[in-house]
Amino acid sequence: MSEIDALEARLAALTDEDLSRGLDLFRAKLGGAEAAYLQTCVRCGLCADACHYHRTDGELASIPAHKLAQVAAVFRAHYTAAGRLAPGLTGARRFDRDMVRAWVDAVFGRCSLCGRCSLNCTTGIHISAVLRAARGTLTEMGLIPPDLLQVVATSLETGNNMGISREDWLETVQWIEEEMQQDVGDPAARIPVDKQGARVLFTVNPREPKFFPLCLQASATVFHAAGEDWTVASEGWDLTNYGLFSASPAHGGAIAANLMASMDRLGCGTLVIGECGHGFAAARWEAAEWLQKRPGFRIVSFLELMEEYFQQGRLHVDPAKITERATLHDPCNTVRHGGIVEPQRAILRRCLADFVEMTPNRAENFCCGGGGGQLSMSRYRQKRLQSGGVKAEQIRRTGARLVVAPCHNCIDQLMELNREYKLGVVIKTVAEVVAEALVRTTAPSREESHVPDAR
Amino acid sequence: MEALRIGVGICGLGAVVALAVQAARASAFGIRPLHAPAAGSATRGVLYAFGPGMSPLAKESTRTHPWAYALGVAYHLGVFAAFGYLLLLLLGVDVAPTAALGVPLLAGALGGLGLFVRRYASAPLRGLSVPDDAIANLLTTGFVALAAARLRSPAAEPALLAAAMLLLCYVPLGKIRHCVFFFLSRRHLGRHFGRRGTFPVRH
Repeated sequence: MSEIDALEARLAALTDEDLSRGLDLFRAKLGGAEAAYLQTCVRCGLCADACHYHRTDGELASIPAHKLAQVAAVFRAHYTAAGRLAPGLTGARRFDRDMVRAWVDAVFGRCSLCGRCSLNCTTGIHISAVLRAARGTLTEMGLIPPDLLQVVATSLETGNNMGISREDWLETVQWIEEEMQQDVGDPAARIPVDKQGARVLFTVNPREPKFFPLCLQASATVFHAAGEDWTVASEGWDLTNYGLFSASPAHGGAIAANLMASMDRLGCGTLVIGECGHGFAAARWEAAEWLQKRPGFRIVSFLELMEEYFQQGRLHVDPAKITERATLHDPCNTVRHGGIVEPQRAILRRCLADFVEMTPNRAENFCCGGGGGQLSMSRYRQKRLQSGGVKAEQIRRTGARLVVAPCHNCIDQLMELNREYKLGVVIKTVAEVVAEALVRTTAPSREESHVPDAR
Repeated sequence: MEALRIGVGICGLGAVVALAVQAARASAFGIRPLHAPAAGSATRGVLYAFGPGMSPLAKESTRTHPWAYALGVAYHLGVFAAFGYLLLLLLGVDVAPTAALGVPLLAGALGGLGLFVRRYASAPLRGLSVPDDAIANLLTTGFVALAAARLRSPAAEPALLAAAMLLLCYVPLGKIRHCVFFFLSRRHLGRHFGRRGTFPVRH
């Protein structure tokens, strides 16, 4: 049975008991904030153009207010007097099979949880938070696209979302270390593994060892140049967390626990999340809520750390090394949901001779279309590529030949957009740009670097 | 007339109680304690959400729809003016016709009418709409228009009071309850994005 049919079969087999349980699950996901959001929409429709799906398909069902209305309809029908007494008046609808199907389409098929609608809502509804609650409900009802669930399952089974074995990971690290030694001309350059008490534990998106080893090499080069006391972990090194996309705290918490266990095992002071938007949002913001525990260490984005190195004078770059026009893509989970807005800009202004912003940018950025787990849901591929047309046009308008994207999901989507829309651009991480612009100096020893440990 | 005024008072009290109950019920869904250390300030986020974040320039959705925004602002000013005027009438204070009151009332009525036309002239907005949208708009716009009429002629007062009763009875049932939930939502939104350092938005 295909992935698509498997989900359809589950939808068709829903029983009244399933629906009743689903309603209980939904109720459990609502806090005071969501209950307020669900009663605030005035259907002004001004959110429509905020959504990259609606901008590219023009469909009513892609308007954020329409997606919100699917969830609000159920809330009204079951939890408000007006919805129970006069459902037709306010559009209240009970949680039946048709509504579940509408939810699946709205929250998996037409939403990357980018949150742009939330910032554009005239009444202040955090729409993506509501849609996330609906996603979580569907996931716990077993109504998640199977390929998205498979990524979560692979993480839970193997410790990383690509099922890379420990041996392969360590071999790759060793190989990259050798490449870096040649590149920087320093045989003492290291990618330390499981170094107890290192100041920094660096975590990686499995796409780097699997497909983009130069990204990992670039990060290692930056650490080497900064003279950082760092390490990677032999286990629990994957920063990704598709629990953010399944919206299941059980998934998210179990995956996040891998990173927390690595920190505990190695006794590092700072957990550094490599360039990955959702990985950062999951580790920095959601993990503590999933695990119901405040982390006992600092969690930062590699972007923040690199900018700290620059401010401390530990990195030296020559912007004349990269002269082509470059622009920056703002990953939604790094910027809008993550609050990391300026460090990447400060870094690129140092490293690039011709850096231009996209319009709009920062918290107003458009999603590339690859967020929210869309890259792993094959049934929505065409919709994803179509929705990415907004980002493609943004890139084209800058005239840039280099697009810097501090997120591997975004990079994958941008690479597809590059082909689909014939953009003719090169896509790199921020660390790759920094490594390329570095002016080689003797790396400072640990004793020479004075970085306050925030532990 | 006195009976109508008492009726308005009762309906108003009922609306306030119903809205308070609804807000309390929403709050009873609970506030989850947050464990992730804040990167920014929740308070600053709330201040932004209720301050610069309300500016038409703060959001693309309002920047690119200035007419809809202007209609909305006029409509809400008219509603506030009409309720203020109603309160004065209930207290027995008869205000002489002045532009300070007449202009917002007239602008409000026109704003409401404009939003009604906008909603039903636009296919996507029609698609989003439920009967509540039409009823809420007509009741509110009618109320504001009757307030403007009462300002010119005391003969319109019974109609104004009757419209006020209808409106106040309807408030807790449909979208007009955003008069309370707007504040709750914006506060939650501001706290969330303020903690994360996204608010205030830098352009």
